[in-house]
Amino acid sequence: MKPYVSRRRATALGLAALSLAVTGMAVGSPASAFTLKGKPKIAFIYAAAINDGGWDESIDAARKKTAAALGLPIATSESIPEDATALRAAIDLYVKHGYNIIVGTSYGYSDALLKAAKDYPDVAFLGASGTTNASNLESFYPRTYQGWYLAGMAAGAVTKTNKLGMLGGYPVGVVNWDLNAFIRGAQAINPKAQVIGIYTNSWWDPVQEGKVAEAMLDQNADVIATDLSAASAPNAAEKRGAFAVGYQIDMKSYAPNGMLTSVVFKWENYLTPTIKAIIDGSWKPDPYGAFVSIKTHTVDLTPISDKVPPEVQAKIAAARAQIEAGTLTPFDGPVLKQDGSVAVAAGAKMTDDQLWSMDYFVQGAIGKMPAPQK
Amino acid sequence: MTEFLVTWLAGTPSYAMPLLLASLGLILSERAGVLNLSAEGIMAVGAMTAAVTTLLMGHPWLGLLAGAGAGIALSAVFGLAVVVFRVDQILAGLATVAIGIGITGVIGRPYVHQTVTGIDPVQLPVLSAIPVIGPVLFHQDPLFYLAVVLALMASWMLARTRFGLRWRAVGEDPAAADIAGVDVQVTQLLAVLASGALCGLAGGYLSVVSSQVWVEGMVAGRGWIAIGLVIFVRWSPVRAIFGALLFGGASALTPRLLATGANVPVYLMMMLPYLLTIAVLAIPAMFKLGRGPEPENLGTVYLRQDRR
Repeated sequence: MKPYVSRRRATALGLAALSLAVTGMAVGSPASAFTLKGKPKIAFIYAAAINDGGWDESIDAARKKTAAALGLPIATSESIPEDATALRAAIDLYVKHGYNIIVGTSYGYSDALLKAAKDYPDVAFLGASGTTNASNLESFYPRTYQGWYLAGMAAGAVTKTNKLGMLGGYPVGVVNWDLNAFIRGAQAINPKAQVIGIYTNSWWDPVQEGKVAEAMLDQNADVIATDLSAASAPNAAEKRGAFAVGYQIDMKSYAPNGMLTSVVFKWENYLTPTIKAIIDGSWKPDPYGAFVSIKTHTVDLTPISDKVPPEVQAKIAAARAQIEAGTLTPFDGPVLKQDGSVAVAAGAKMTDDQLWSMDYFVQGAIGKMPAPQK
Repeated sequence: MTEFLVTWLAGTPSYAMPLLLASLGLILSERAGVLNLSAEGIMAVGAMTAAVTTLLMGHPWLGLLAGAGAGIALSAVFGLAVVVFRVDQILAGLATVAIGIGITGVIGRPYVHQTVTGIDPVQLPVLSAIPVIGPVLFHQDPLFYLAVVLALMASWMLARTRFGLRWRAVGEDPAAADIAGVDVQVTQLLAVLASGALCGLAGGYLSVVSSQVWVEGMVAGRGWIAIGLVIFVRWSPVRAIFGALLFGGASALTPRLLATGANVPVYLMMMLPYLLTIAVLAIPAMFKLGRGPEPENLGTVYLRQDRR
């Protein structure tokens, strides 16, 4: 029910992210749209159990919605290990039975998916949080930092102490950009706002998450945002009458009074239109992978609490419209690193490469980012 | 500054608690000669069972009881292996860790991430209003007081009762205990079950009291730290109270310093318990201080026919 990004996936994501562009170019961009031969038969392949309470479960929730939207059954295989031979055996079996749209849901599938895509040019492949792309394979991940920027705006508006706290798992790109976007969002509304950023060095330690939140609250932080999946940090905030921001799923129930909003995944908003496009013959996989905007609602915000003043809500809505239109990005220059050096010059925009390799806090962060995980 | 100290010290017992309970259990087991490495797995089962029971029954205390019960059940498997079938204690302990973590994944999966009713700290009237000392000593989880009492009781039992003397005799020299008429196997089995109850309770504390949620793998190495703690405190239940507070205090300090923006060597802090443990292991050896209270027969299987 409650998604998270597994350690393996996220660490690897940050690492291999740069290879996105490289791999994409090596394979070359498709000249024409992909055409499906025969009737669409769709299968999803999961690396862990489907009801893992996390990542796989969140994608499977989307699978059900996509199946309903398309009016097609979708087959699933779970607990297929992330080694090439195991995945390949599953893919071979599906292809043999006439399946021609196959979705791999794990970062660790990237290379095997690429190989299968080359061997089965008539089958369409999609890879969640993958790093490989081809004329019949597209990897996808949403730009979560856009959601966190908007959530930061809400948090910056309600803080009385001008101190916020945000928890992350490991210092990898996909986590770092969430924290930095949250800081920049908060400062866009409240220039005095500062954010305590602490990494728990685990994806899995709800005990530590609660304790870290308490430590932040004891330092007078009055909004606790979590980039992790357990209830303990929002719970700790709620008990002290502080605000909270959730992640991955709607965490309102973890802090009924204080929850400002949650930055959530809605994978179906990528999967349904993409699979529709594959079926109707208009699909052109992005040679760099689908790094999709909040415009697609693949990452989204839950309705913002009425504790956020209406004029700020209007500003958040306006910022969202600008982000969707591409006129605003959370990391428009000037972006200064915590130590004062320039990350993005005034007037410039941050590139995707810079995003994936982000290994620093921006100004406004309290705390030091640990050495990056390799 | 005072406020920082008070909140830090007040936050320390909740870090120390699971370590104290688990290491207390391990001390009881090891004083009877059974080297017990299964804490991580037993705590995992305790955490899962306590959370699931609390979710289903709605009573956190019932959940903790169930966590202790589940700890006993899994440690019975370990005890059966090492005491009855005389399996190698190290291997059996490690296997029990794997079993424990595996079982929780299978059984607990439908309950993952569900918020559990917790147990709130008790505020002892009058006493908790004392500045500084009040919040630190008299505004804690009820289990904290229970754990301290249990540690004192265990210490008294081992040192001052005939039952405790037999318990230790089995750990020091099972052959002599056997000749004196002590049932070595029953004593060791009892010790293993006691450690299971305490480790299970420690796991239950993590899920029901500390985080009020269960997630696979949430014990996150605390069982191994408890094993280090046993060595660090040289198998003494009373010293375990202070050792646990020291380890807990160090872990409680890291996020608190980070939250002030201080530059803390995080990875070094995470290594600290293990470094201290190695130091405590090395120092007696370096200065030829002998084994001290380390049970003489720790880790070896007793077979009556091999008696000399």
